[in-house]
Amino acid sequence: MEIQIKLYGSSKMLSENETLLIKLPDNSNIGQLRSSLKQFIDENYSKSNLGNLPNSAAFFSDRNEIINDSYQLKNKELVSIIPPIGGG
Amino acid sequence: MSIHTALVKTEEQKISIEKAKKFIGSEEYGAESIFIGRVRNENSGKKVTAVTYDAHDQAVLKSFQSICNDAKKKFDSNVSIFLEHAKGYSPVGEISILIAIGSGHRDEAFKICRYILEEVKFQSPIWKKEHYADGKEEWLPGHSLRPKKEIK
Repeated sequence: MEIQIKLYGSSKMLSENETLLIKLPDNSNIGQLRSSLKQFIDENYSKSNLGNLPNSAAFFSDRNEIINDSYQLKNKELVSIIPPIGGG
Repeated sequence: MSIHTALVKTEEQKISIEKAKKFIGSEEYGAESIFIGRVRNENSGKKVTAVTYDAHDQAVLKSFQSICNDAKKKFDSNVSIFLEHAKGYSPVGEISILIAIGSGHRDEAFKICRYILEEVKFQSPIWKKEHYADGKEEWLPGHSLRPKKEIK
């Protein structure tokens, strides 16, 4: 299955596009998405300071609500990655 | 007795102090409290030239409304609240956030202003990337919204 991650904040360093496509085993959840994202960063952005992003980020559903690690993803689903925030 | 919230795209317009004053102004109010946050020229010893603010627009506006409603419930329902935050590239000196409160008395005005500022920093999905005089840039660390029990 494929998941599109809409990028915000520091996660925008992962792609020049607004979204990042991640391939996952069927019936994956947010916890597995974190693991795949960690692997993607380790393989492609090892020199960046994004190593802890998969652990520290929250994820929003398309209804703009936080989804936890057990949330079951659907093929082609769009979720937003929410790195640690700091406005003001 | 009303609430105005917005994300202001900096390439299109600037946050206006006059607009905020006009919004909260009322003969019913004996107090006005205005907080203005600006992009400053230094952070941790680095010379800053600008900040780019990124935001999850829908979630930010939802959080702004929720924070303002909570503030009214917590402190005083008979107030006017103006809250705007910048989104986009903002050079040093530009306003990043403006909170203006009109209320009957000073105590509520000060408290609500401070409450909203802290809650925006704590709840609203906004990020900032600093641009430095040496040409480098950096996304700043922040507060995680991931449920605490899940963080390893």
